[in-house]
Amino acid sequence: WKKDEFRNCNQTPFCNRARSRKPNSCSLIATDVEISDGDLVAKLIPKTPPQTDQASTNSSNQEDGVEDLVQKPLILRVSAYQDGILRVKIDEDQTLNPPKKRFEVPSVIESDFLDKKLWLQRFSEVKIDGDSSIVVYLADGYEGVLRKDPFEIFVRESNGGNRVISVNSHGLFDFEQLRVKKDGDSWEENFRSHTDTRPYGPQSISFDVSFYDADFVYGIPEHATSLALKPTRGPGIEFSEPYRLFNLDVFEYLHESPFGLYGSIPFMLSHGKAWGTSGFFWLNAAEMQIDVLGDGWDAGESRLSLPSDQKRIDTLWMSEAGIIDAFFFVGPGPKDVVRQYVSVTGMPAMPQHFATAYHQCRWNYRDEEDVYHVDSKFDEHDIPYDVLWLDIEHTDGKKYFTWDRMLFPHPEEMQNKLAGKGRHMVTIVDPHIKREDSYYIHKEASDKGHYVKDATGKDYDGWCWPGSSSYLDMLSPEVREWWAEKFSNKNYVGSTPSLYIWNDMNEPSVFNGPEVTMPRDALHVGGVEHRELHNAYGYYFHMGTDGGLVKRGEGKDRPFVLSRAFFAGSQRYGAVWTGDNTAEWEQLRVSVPMVLAMGLTGITFSGADIGGFFGNPEPELLVRWYQLGAYYPFFRGHAHHDTKRREPWLFGERNTELMRDAIRTRYMLLPYFYTLFREANTTGVPVMRPLWMEFPSDEAAFSNDEAFMVGNSILVQGVYSEKTKQTSVYLPGEQNWYDMKTGTTYKGGMIHKLEVSDEGVPAFQRAGTIIPRKDRYRRSSTQMVNDPYTLVIALNSSQSAEGELYVDDGKTFEFQRGAYIHRRFIYSDGKLTSINMAPSDNDRRLYSTECVVERIILLGHPSRPKSALVEPSNNEVDIEMGPLRVQRSRVVSVLTIRKPNVRISDDWTIQIL
Amino acid sequence: NSLSSNSLIGISPEDEKYYNTASEFIKCKDGSKKISRNQLNDDYCDCADGSDEPGTSACPNGRFYCPNAGHIPVVLFSSRVNDGICDCCDGSDEYDGKIKCQNTCWEAGKAARDKLTKKIATFQEGVTLRKKEIGLGMLAFAKDEAELSKIKSEEKVLKGLVQQLKERKEQIEKAEEKVRLEKEKEEKLNEVKNESDQEKTEDEEKAESGKEKHDDTTHDDVIGNLDDSSEQGVEEVDSKIEHVDGAPYNEAEPPAKEDNEEDIVASESGSEHEKEHETTELENTEGLSKEELGRLVASRWTGGKSDHKPEESDHKPEESDDVKDIDHVDEIPKDVDKDVNEEDYDGYASEFDENDHKYDENYANDHKYDENDADEHVDDDFTAGDHEDSGSYRSDSDDESVESDVTALGNPSWLEKIQITVKNILHAVNLFQTPLNISDAAQVRKEYDESSAKLSKIQSRISSLSEKLKLDFGPEKEFYSLYDRCFETKQNKYVYKVCPYKKATQEEGHMTTRLGQWEKFEDSYKVMVFSSGDKCWNGPDRSLKVKLRCGLKNEVTDVDEPSRCEYVALLSTPGVCREEKLKELQDKLDALNRQPPKHDEL
Repeated sequence: WKKDEFRNCNQTPFCNRARSRKPNSCSLIATDVEISDGDLVAKLIPKTPPQTDQASTNSSNQEDGVEDLVQKPLILRVSAYQDGILRVKIDEDQTLNPPKKRFEVPSVIESDFLDKKLWLQRFSEVKIDGDSSIVVYLADGYEGVLRKDPFEIFVRESNGGNRVISVNSHGLFDFEQLRVKKDGDSWEENFRSHTDTRPYGPQSISFDVSFYDADFVYGIPEHATSLALKPTRGPGIEFSEPYRLFNLDVFEYLHESPFGLYGSIPFMLSHGKAWGTSGFFWLNAAEMQIDVLGDGWDAGESRLSLPSDQKRIDTLWMSEAGIIDAFFFVGPGPKDVVRQYVSVTGMPAMPQHFATAYHQCRWNYRDEEDVYHVDSKFDEHDIPYDVLWLDIEHTDGKKYFTWDRMLFPHPEEMQNKLAGKGRHMVTIVDPHIKREDSYYIHKEASDKGHYVKDATGKDYDGWCWPGSSSYLDMLSPEVREWWAEKFSNKNYVGSTPSLYIWNDMNEPSVFNGPEVTMPRDALHVGGVEHRELHNAYGYYFHMGTDGGLVKRGEGKDRPFVLSRAFFAGSQRYGAVWTGDNTAEWEQLRVSVPMVLAMGLTGITFSGADIGGFFGNPEPELLVRWYQLGAYYPFFRGHAHHDTKRREPWLFGERNTELMRDAIRTRYMLLPYFYTLFREANTTGVPVMRPLWMEFPSDEAAFSNDEAFMVGNSILVQGVYSEKTKQTSVYLPGEQNWYDMKTGTTYKGGMIHKLEVSDEGVPAFQRAGTIIPRKDRYRRSSTQMVNDPYTLVIALNSSQSAEGELYVDDGKTFEFQRGAYIHRRFIYSDGKLTSINMAPSDNDRRLYSTECVVERIILLGHPSRPKSALVEPSNNEVDIEMGPLRVQRSRVVSVLTIRKPNVRISDDWTIQIL
Repeated sequence: NSLSSNSLIGISPEDEKYYNTASEFIKCKDGSKKISRNQLNDDYCDCADGSDEPGTSACPNGRFYCPNAGHIPVVLFSSRVNDGICDCCDGSDEYDGKIKCQNTCWEAGKAARDKLTKKIATFQEGVTLRKKEIGLGMLAFAKDEAELSKIKSEEKVLKGLVQQLKERKEQIEKAEEKVRLEKEKEEKLNEVKNESDQEKTEDEEKAESGKEKHDDTTHDDVIGNLDDSSEQGVEEVDSKIEHVDGAPYNEAEPPAKEDNEEDIVASESGSEHEKEHETTELENTEGLSKEELGRLVASRWTGGKSDHKPEESDHKPEESDDVKDIDHVDEIPKDVDKDVNEEDYDGYASEFDENDHKYDENYANDHKYDENDADEHVDDDFTAGDHEDSGSYRSDSDDESVESDVTALGNPSWLEKIQITVKNILHAVNLFQTPLNISDAAQVRKEYDESSAKLSKIQSRISSLSEKLKLDFGPEKEFYSLYDRCFETKQNKYVYKVCPYKKATQEEGHMTTRLGQWEKFEDSYKVMVFSSGDKCWNGPDRSLKVKLRCGLKNEVTDVDEPSRCEYVALLSTPGVCREEKLKELQDKLDALNRQPPKHDEL
């Protein structure tokens, strides 16, 4: 890690300034409160206006030296949306002709969301602690409050109930307004050899946010650190950097650091036993720094009397530019907050079925021969895989959309051969474009002016893989349109419909730029400074590529685009991975909180490179990584080109068997995963979840990020050190858990010491759940489509269980028209019932399948019945003792209903006799 | 009472009896369970070993047998059954009606038979060549052994002679010394008179002995160097001590400190091997031009030198030009092409070819050198015929000159001659004669010098020969002829040179990179291992594995770097054209031919 190449807070003037502010230094008060266009609107002005107040409101009448010091009024706009979302916008007053319109991040907020606005009709004015405050309705049981003096905004339970979230309760609010440069002003900032001209002077914003009844705060990815965010300031805290949100290509990142990585989502969740969950999202794409303030950080300096009976976590949010466009989510459950957040930023895309299976990648599979070789080895070892990836070396001189024809003379044939086995390929396409006159992308982009400009207005020229490169201005919808065209099979020569795309380096990575990225004073369409949108650059690129694949498939083929950089809303455009990790045990460990944090903030389709990108994993680490990674939502093996080959068959028979088993575990659970992806697609609730999301009142689960839930039914405990023979697992809740390999029952609500074998990481099915599986293995998931299902019913203490299965064509958008099967399985009173969850008339008509259930496993049944009656066919089937998982090694006897052969698309019941 | 033909699907003929019993129950093959007969192939897995479902995909460990009439039978993983992909050439693995597979066994069988026939022909010739090699190898090895034992005994004799000569020489010298002393005594009388003369002689003597000493040093490089360096070391210590005297304590060891600093920086950048090159740049990126900075940062990921153009960075794999163009699929006769199954056939073919080593395959990237490729070389050999090996030559080791020298020494009369000569000399010299016969003394000295020179030559030959004989030339010495030979192949800008039992290199212009030193054979003489080659930036030390395939001439082809700095090459050689393998191939062909050549026109 090159620490010196990156700025810390002390080297970042706005961060330094904001951090050194004292509580209560904000003197703004809210005035001129009114309802306008269904919003509550007010002006924020200094409490003791300076003498020149009159002059400053008239922008034409500027006086030397004085004007800069004057705080012009800010416009505050509070609006309420359905489902308990309060939105607060604060910006300069456009009627006062500021030097430029500050940047608002476009195309992140769902258009549907805007339709959910509650048109406020009235507000009431009340006294809170003797201060005049404005109260508006937010949702049943919640209200938004604007305290006027000092200005403070919060959400609380109705009728003066408990507070949920507040802003500026500690008076740390500051909003630096744009200025016009005059002679003698020097706003330049230097970092190492780079100079930022900062033509508009300092323009940062900072404020405090408090979460009430919170035990922990989470979210704000991407950081390689614990899921529960540790305080960064306060008594006794050495950890002094704030959490940084600034998309960077960090070479060999560290596993325990608040340092900003490839993506940024300024969304924080709090959770506590007393209240539940709430969330705060600041839609702002400039560099952000966030402090989590430890108990006693303000040492009694607070002016306001905040409720002392409510536990509180205070945070400080600082951004270099932009406006305040913030959203308060009231929860109160963890899933509620996530749902509320994705209602603003968009639902996670429904991936194609193949994309939820195993991906094999390496920098680089070098030529067609190598591709065929790796492909055939998977078959030879009967290991399933679905996607083979090609990194940058497949191109002609790092010119994307081209092929090195020496290495890949027949790319279509190659893709078609793999497609013949139901497999797909992915090639890399990055946003840096080689500045080579003969390269058609470069020629068109420069002719049409599609590049980001430098501070002087010329095409910005930076250095990346191809050498001298320019960067597409993906902020521009016109550029995105143009870009999308490039992905048609006609334009992308050598591509076929089974080829999908990988966007890397889109932070953007600029090898010779400040902090290995683009200068902040580079210019985008409409005069937007790069500093204002930096964190969303990769998002727009991802969006453009996704659009290209939608276009290519004529809207009939769900895109698959993996991106490294991300921002709020990236979940709509595909998968994200945790970037260039390292083959170390600690990096395996930190991958779990990293993926969990992304899931909490909308990006459910994520994972870490299996094995670690840099370095050579010991076989044991690699095996453990496969065993854990099989449960990541995005499951891909990847490696740096300096590492040894590490495909699953290269480490001796035993290790091959273990890795095959890990990969097969994923394939076995694909029906469950796909159902979870659909749940994420409709609710935002992530596939991989922290324990507290499923057990929100179990305090022992709040800071546990070594174990995680896959859906609501499976708990996985990673193994994070070598030669582990024993591990402790905390199993939350009151119900039992069943070991997924042995069927052994464990009591919930306690820590269990478990023997760990090399055969897998501990995984448990929660009592009261039903998991759909497919127990037959194929070359790839594509061939599993007609295979029969196994249902695993884990009974709870009241001998009941529930589960779901979602199935569609796995490929098109037809599911949006209702072409899917969605079943709920309910087991109670000795009877399993399959109920249709889809709108009653859609499943048969639009999507059908002949698939049947071949096996039903009952865990936790008290007796040994011999048969069951299937209705409506009135067919009696055998119940026998069978294996929990059909495989060579262990034979565990569990109650198994043999060949009920009911169709999954039908309504039926199975009564234990 | 026998099972319906449908329930016997996927069962090999050998197993039919096992399943087709009169009993109502069938045992799982692993003995774990008894199942009723209607549970056989009922599309539900009952046996943990998959033995109840040979014909369906129900068991994850199952195996499916395709009879492939017209071709040879194949056993598939159960995962291939009814998966929508035609795997058996007779299409028997896809019977659920979801897709229709063409029967391609006749064409495929014919192609396979042709291929196999060709391969067998090569092997037949190869086996003969190998036998010849073995014969020659055995002979040459025995010859080497004989020579070794002979020169060992010669050494013994010669050692004795040298000892004798040495003793005699010393006696002579003693005698001469005595004479000299007496002479001195005599001359003392004329001391004054002859003073100046004598001084002159002494000076000359001194100069002479000094010269001798110097010669010794150059002769024995190692010791000489050691001496030099230790002397330097002493000097350095001295200067250091001086430094300490005049400087603060903590500056006592500036050179060591510098080293440390360098190490830290280097390890931070992960580029230990580019130390000098990178430290300065890393320390001070401020002074770099934009382009230099871009290259430098890029080089962290690529490992390339920052002054390389990225698209030509040295990690870029080398393309193997001639081999690349050969597509094995093209081998299939064109008439198969019209079949829908071309690709499937391809998959089938490779399964067929790799059948025998499917489960014990441990090597990465073996595929590249699988039978298909071996056949390519074989085919070439056919047209090339049995002429002199091209691209190979004797290694230019200095052994060669020694050998020829020693061979001259090896003349049987030589030792006798020398023995007689020495005897004569020894007899001739009369030690009691004063003064000594000067010519006799000179002859003893000359004979001593010559004999000890010969002795050391013999000894070096002995050591090189015993080193050689310790080498592993294969169980039947079939690789003996590869000793002292090198094989070259040019791929793009690189020339690869493989010298078995010695080393392997990669040459680009005047740059030579050592890929490895000979280490051993591996995998029962199927692979040569060269290890501990030159260091690799950010990677392991270079190494090369040479895979051996049966061919009619010795030829290295197709060098590749599948994993960074780990090279793989293919050497075709008759040395591995084993009779057992030939027999195996012939059996395979017999099996193929036994299949009814049914041409199913579906």
